[in-house]
Amino acid sequence: MEDVTKTRVEQLIDYIMKNCLWQFHSRNWDRKRQNENIIGMTTRLLCGEPVKPETPEDKCYWVDAVCLAEAYRARHPWLATLGVDQIRELMAKLHEQLDYQTITASLNEELTDQHY
Amino acid sequence: MPYHEFECSKCIPERKQHAVVKAPGEDLTSCLPKGYLNTIPGSISERGCAYCGAKHVIGTPMKDVIHLSHGPIGCTYDTWQTKRYISDNGNFQLKYTFASDVREKHIVFGAEKLLKQNILEAFAQFPEIKRMTIYQTCATALIGDDINAIAEEVMEELPDVDIFICNSPGFAGPSQSGGHHKINIAWINQKVGTVEPEITSDYVINYVGEYNIQGDQEVMQDFFKRMGIQVLSTFTGNGRYDDLRGMHKAHLNVLECARSAEYICNELRVRYGIPRLDIDGFGFEPLSQSLRKVAMFFGIEERAEAIIAEETARWKPELDWYKERLKGKKVCLWPGGSKLWHWAHVIEAEMGVKVVSVYTKFGHQGDMEKGVARCSEDTLAIDDPNELEGLEALEMLKPDIIFTGKRPGEVAKKVGVPYLNAHAYHNGPYKGYEGWVRFARDIYNAIYSPIHQLAELDISRDPIPTDKGFATQRMLSDASLPEDIRTSTTLRQYSGAYDTISPLRDKTYPTFDSRSAAAE
Ligand code: SF4
Repeated sequence: MEDVTKTRVEQLIDYIMKNCLWQFHSRNWDRKRQNENIIGMTTRLLCGEPVKPETPEDKCYWVDAVCLAEAYRARHPWLATLGVDQIRELMAKLHEQLDYQTITASLNEELTDQHY
Repeated sequence: MPYHEFECSKCIPERKQHAVVKAPGEDLTSCLPKGYLNTIPGSISERGCAYCGAKHVIGTPMKDVIHLSHGPIGCTYDTWQTKRYISDNGNFQLKYTFASDVREKHIVFGAEKLLKQNILEAFAQFPEIKRMTIYQTCATALIGDDINAIAEEVMEELPDVDIFICNSPGFAGPSQSGGHHKINIAWINQKVGTVEPEITSDYVINYVGEYNIQGDQEVMQDFFKRMGIQVLSTFTGNGRYDDLRGMHKAHLNVLECARSAEYICNELRVRYGIPRLDIDGFGFEPLSQSLRKVAMFFGIEERAEAIIAEETARWKPELDWYKERLKGKKVCLWPGGSKLWHWAHVIEAEMGVKVVSVYTKFGHQGDMEKGVARCSEDTLAIDDPNELEGLEALEMLKPDIIFTGKRPGEVAKKVGVPYLNAHAYHNGPYKGYEGWVRFARDIYNAIYSPIHQLAELDISRDPIPTDKGFATQRMLSDASLPEDIRTSTTLRQYSGAYDTISPLRDKTYPTFDSRSAAAE
């Protein structure tokens, strides 16, 4: 990753880690679902695309996504200088890094427990 | 892995994997202590047992219930009245505790008869209470008493009563957390879906993992009611037994303490399709975000924004008065489980203190993930510490204050470190905007209490400064403050009432048109 992208991904991850709870559900499959849906919706919101949550479950992802997108816009003015493709690329890297830290390279030994 | 080895625990080498320092550049893939494992022999843990976790933390806050422990009286006695989960029905659950008083002869001959007699006596003594939870303990689990069969018999004889069985003896897990898990799953298996609740709003939530410590639940319920949201049940602070049987009819589970109650939320999602939204009720910003999210879920954002604006305007100048005086103070954040992550970042951001250490007695690695993620660099994170490690950490880190339970808290006092009760609070509630200011006030009072000037002098050794007067809190806290802060007319000390909860119980709330009426 080039330096500027790396720094930006770190800043975005840092906000999630310090202020959000949704990335820390208790099992691997929950974390995958949470990260995918919330980062996916946040990306679309940041790109100016409409997001219409249909189910109650979607609404939960959506409220977290709206709050995250707003916090990113307020804290990182450089986001406004990026084009839609650049935002998508950046958010894909963020998603990859978040999955890495919270799922694939997580040291939490309870993530693979089959039961709640 | 940046493990930290305590000098005092060198003789217990396994302990090394239970403490880490979050050095610069570390993240969760390289810095996480072990957690939720059996306490290592030789390490005197501060944990409770799985019965205690089920009864004391989760079960007993239910307010209209006879809480009966089937076992020796000591188990019950030690879980009685140590936590301040009040209720709006005269604190029945705090005032009374019940035990079947199992003795040696019952261990030999069985204690089922004794249990039945106890159940009938308890219902007879309190005829207005028709609900009961029976808690299993080690002794009665080992002799194989069939509590379920006895409860069934009683429910047949007394058709207007309902009994819940919590089978979580002390040995059913490494710590009290095992009991949290057991009672969550038992409740959803035995009781959820057995009552059809009355729905009075378009917006219906279960408020889960909230125990009404000094009124926290009532503060949060006030916000929800002001938004026109029906709190169908609270699991379990100030909660009614029958309301909790109707949890399956909520539209949303709002989860406060994921450590003690995520299990029931996860099961409610799988079994009934009710989604889970995790919130933070502590701190202005996290609380505002939480209210905003719940409101957005229902499409009533403007109601949340009105509350946020009103409360922030009222209380922020008071929070900031304390923040100015707490800046840079070093904190050891040593609670039981969830507060390590609820508070780690927000007390730094909103009160200006520096968290130098976090620990958890019974948290899992998931709690430490949240805690380590939220705390700043160089913080020492410890899992299931023993008393000597706690003392060594205090010696090394020299904190200005420690937030913990009363056992380690009293130890800290002896080495001159003031402590605040992180479990039961000092002058709570701590939730809500006003509550957060009350917390800041308690921290201020603890750190700057003039008592330390006297308490830390040893009259048998130290020279006693008889020529100097007594320095007050303000003299101590304002000594190095800039003039404009010291004399600010916008910042002010806490100005709320002594009792903030009683008025909420008589409050009337706005009525909102239902969605169907509005559509007509
Ligand atoms: S460990 Fe067993 S005997 Fe001891 S308090 Fe807990 S339930 Fe009672």
